[in-house]
Formats: sequence, C-alpha cells, structure tokens
Amino acid sequence: MTAYVLDGIVLGLQFGLLAAGLTLVYGLGGALNLAYGQMAVISAMVVTFAIDAGIPALPAVGIGLVTGAALGLFFDLTILRPVYRRQGEARVLLSLLLTLGVAFIVDGYLSWRYPFRGLTLHIGGGPVNILGVPMRRGSLVASAITIVAFASLFLFFRRTALGRAVRSVIEDEEGARLVGVDPHLMLRLILVLSGGLAALVAVTRAMVTPVTVTGGFEITVFALIVTVVGGLGSFSGALLAGILLGIINSIAASYIGTFLSLIILLVAAALTIVIRPSGLLGVRE
Amino acid sequence: MSDRFAMTTGTSLVGGAERRASRSLPALFLPVLGVGAVLAPVPLWLGDSRVLMGVALLGLAFACYTIGFNVIFGSTGQLFLCVGALAGVGGYSSAILADRFGMPVMVSILLGAVGASLVGGLLSWIAVRRSLGVIFTGIVTLIFSLTFQNLLLGRGDLTGGESGFLISSRADLFLGELKPAYYVMLALVLIFLLIHAILRRSHLGWGFRALRDNEVAAELAGVDVARYRVYAALIGAAMLGLAGATYAFSRGRISPTTFGFAQVDVVVVVMLAFGGIGTLLGPILGAVVFTIIDEILIDFGQLRLVAHGALIIILFLWIQRGLIPTLGSFFRSARFHPRRKRWRR
Repeated sequence: MTAYVLDGIVLGLQFGLLAAGLTLVYGLGGALNLAYGQMAVISAMVVTFAIDAGIPALPAVGIGLVTGAALGLFFDLTILRPVYRRQGEARVLLSLLLTLGVAFIVDGYLSWRYPFRGLTLHIGGGPVNILGVPMRRGSLVASAITIVAFASLFLFFRRTALGRAVRSVIEDEEGARLVGVDPHLMLRLILVLSGGLAALVAVTRAMVTPVTVTGGFEITVFALIVTVVGGLGSFSGALLAGILLGIINSIAASYIGTFLSLIILLVAAALTIVIRPSGLLGVRE
Repeated sequence: MSDRFAMTTGTSLVGGAERRASRSLPALFLPVLGVGAVLAPVPLWLGDSRVLMGVALLGLAFACYTIGFNVIFGSTGQLFLCVGALAGVGGYSSAILADRFGMPVMVSILLGAVGASLVGGLLSWIAVRRSLGVIFTGIVTLIFSLTFQNLLLGRGDLTGGESGFLISSRADLFLGELKPAYYVMLALVLIFLLIHAILRRSHLGWGFRALRDNEVAAELAGVDVARYRVYAALIGAAMLGLAGATYAFSRGRISPTTFGFAQVDVVVVVMLAFGGIGTLLGPILGAVVFTIIDEILIDFGQLRLVAHGALIIILFLWIQRGLIPTLGSFFRSARFHPRRKRWRR
C-alpha cells in the first residue's frame, strides 16, 4: 500500500507541475494555452540538440529552460495579443483556438522533420529505499526538483513584492491598476514563468519516461484536467489535485488494471468538475 | 476570480451574424435542393477512382458531423468536444450489435443513433444541471472523448482494439459499394440540412437563438433554457451517431482513429468555423472546401497538420464570423448600396 501511495505521489507531483504553468496563465490572463505541451516538447528537443552538440547535460537543461521562458515571451508578444483584446468567455475561446492552431503547427512540423526524436535523461545509480519501498532514482530526482520548484513558487507568491503584485492582479485587475501595478507586465512575467515551467515539466518527465515529439498533446490534456480539477487559477489546487489524481491512478492501476485506471482517473476528474465546477480549491464563480 | 468577466454574457465568437431564418417554404427547401444538385454529380466526375470516392465519402461524413456539431454548438453554444466520440458511439455500437449479436443492419444503425443521442443528451443534461460554462462543458466532453477512446482500446475483445474492427455483416449490403454509399451519405446530409432548416424556423429555433444571444433574457422571456439545450444535444448527437454508424458500415472497417479527437473533433471545429458558426450552409461549405484542401495537400504527410494549424489561426484572427456570413454581408451591401460602395472606395 505504501508503495502505491509513494508511486502516486511521484506521479502526482508530476501532474501538479504540469498544471502549475497552465493554471497561472488562466488565473491571471483568463487565457487557456493549449500549446502548453508543445512548449514543453520544443524545450525538450532543444535539450536533445544541445546534448547532441556535445554540451554536458546540466547546461543543456539550462538552455532548455531558457528556451521555454523565451517561448512564453514569444507567445505573449504574438499569439496572445489579439486574445487580450477580448473579454470573458470570448477570450478563453479565442485563446483556446489560436493556441490549438499553434499546437498543430508545432506538432506537424516536428513530427515531419524529426519523426523519431525524444528526450530521455538517465539518472545513474540503482533504486533508493524510502520507507522500505525501492524507488527509481530518476523519479526521486524529478520529484525533488518538483518540490523545490513548488516551494520557490510559493515563496515567490507569498513573500516577494513582485509575487504579491501578480496575485493582486489575479484578485482584482482594476484595483491592481489603481495602486500602480501594470497588469500587462505581470501577464508577460507570468507567461515567461509558465514557459519555464513547461520546460521544467519536459526535463523532469524525461527522467521518468521519454518525452517524444508527438507527446505534446498528452501533456496538455493532463495539464488541463489537473488544472480544472484543482480549480482554474488556483496554484495550490493544482498541486493538491495532481497528488490526489496521482494516488488514485496508481492505486487503481495496481488493483484494477492499467486500462481501467486511466478511465477511473478520467471519471474522477469529470466527477470533480461536475460536483464542484470551481475545482477543489477554486474560487466559487 | 471571474467577477470582471461577469459583464459579458454569451460569446461573441458564436453567432450574432445570423439573419432571421426565413419563414417561406421555398426558402426552406431551396438551399437543400441546391446542395443536392451540386453534390449529386460528384461520383460521375470522380469516375471509378476508389481513392477519390473514399475521400468524397469521408467528406460527406464530415459534413454530417459538422451539421450535428452546429446544431449543438452553433445553436445553443454548448462546446461539445466529443463529436468523434459520439459518432463512435453510433459506429461502434451498431457494428457490435450487427456483428457480434446478429442484429439486422438497419436496426443496429438506428439503435446506434439512439444510443449516441442518449449519451449526448445525458452530457448536455449534466452540463445544464450543473450550469457549466462553455469551457467546462468543453473539458467534461473532452474527458468523455478520452474515456471513450480508452474504452475502445481496453475492451479489445469487443472492439478489436487498436487495429480496428472489420465489419463482416455488411457483406451483402448495398452500402458496401462506394457509389450507393455516397448517395446514402448524401441523403443523410440533405436530411440533416432539412431538419436543421426546419428547426431554425420552428419554436425550438426561436428558443435557441434567444438563449444563445442572451441566456438571462431568454429565461426571463419564458424560454426553458435547460430543456432547449438538452433538446439541441439530443438532436445533434442523434445526427452524429447516425452518420457515424452509416459511415462505419460503408467503410467496413473502423478503428479508434476513425473517431479520434484529433482526427474528427479538431477538423469539425475548423470546418464549422470556416463556413460560419450557426449558419445553415456553413457546415457544408466548410466540409467541402476543407476536404478539397486536405486532398490537395495529401502528399505533404505530417506537414498537413501545419496547414491545419495555420488555417485555424488565420480563420479565427481574420474571418472570425466564417465564410457564409462574411460573403452574405458582402453581397447584401453590394446589392443595396452599389453606387455608394463604389464611390466610397
């Protein structure tokens, strides 16, 4: 049982990290980025090219993170420009459709140009015992990175002036403007952050399973589901939902079988949305 | 969180461009007859090429899907991202009923359509009861799509899993030949069009338009918004299921990708957006144009995805209302103010 829960937490942390970048952009800008998985895939590809070019793994990962952040900035400057000109549901719909278009362009081009590429990061060494359960070193490193990332995000949002400014925009855009916070600047910042998180997702995922050229859509869908279950715009909700869904998934996988476990995961997500449309920790609309 | 969005109701991307539906009888049948007259000679022109006829058949199936999606999304603003899954419910359940349980093909196709209709109605009922917005409806239906795909893969004993399902009970069926299948599919397109045209001028259509333009006002004016939404979903999903089942039997082989999300839903959204969301003929125009574009690009393989993506972006950035409303307003302004238009330019 402990093994399943630990497995679930490892998976859940991954889910949570997936959702974090998506939920930030939604909470702040009211835009859903369906090309989120593709941002991760592009970053992963850049890391593989860097490694192929002879750059050691750690700097290569750094290049990947910078690429992700740059992609976020690029999105903010181009495709999301017309999106921000709209309000409410029209904004969400337009952002969804435009980024879906971007996702297709990226997916199509990458799978045409580099059909069999993928990123795998091997973490050496045998399994490590935790609470008497042998765990793969790769997934432990990935989980550790995720926890550090979440902790620093929490600190950033709770403790720094910049983080508070971002939260003030999420809370009340008009009010934030009145006290001198520029919402557009905050949005740009959050998109850069979200791009970096997408790249981080790619890197930590690559330590557990290969990140393939065509894997972007799957990343986006899981990020979307976890985001919605946790509550759109809620950062801690993303983490909670990720861990819950991860544990559900690994317990269902061991007791019922892998094919039904995914269905149970999906049904659990659907039920949460139906019972609590605002998500686990979301603000009631 | 979304208080600042509360000012706007409804979505400006959906509808708004649609004129009042005509009440006269010829206006009801003319567009349907026109579409029939244009699409009926296609097999004569394509000749005996099995490949091209297959493409044309798929195009018609997509026209059916797009009409069904239009009835659900275009009329009542419910973003159903499970077009492929609902068509798949029709396709797979009819194929399983006919093949594994020995039911007559026609009965099983009808049962497939009824099944899809009930599933669609249930999804809509849940969304309406919990008053889920456009995005949440989209995500719940997307989750349904994924669940359906996983069920297909998981119950390989019934569905043939990833490699697909060879429908053997259609051996002596006229649907097995490409030309009859084309005309059956075309008949479906025309019937769906007619149903949609009648819907638009019936009291249901009035309710749809009212609730889509302003939900609160419609509710106050006595339109039972919840009921009308479920009606739209029932009708639209029945169309999807019927089309999916018919297509399954005319092809003789179905696999999860026949009804996949990327293969059906995305394409249907693009077709509808291209033709014009909420319009009568938009789905047909979108399906025909998109099928032709896709066939021209067939040699590019994966690069076709790039074209799809670019098309989506261009569509939603520049001709947001879709081709039919844009052309319509162009012709109307040209007809009523010919001189002024010329001089202003």
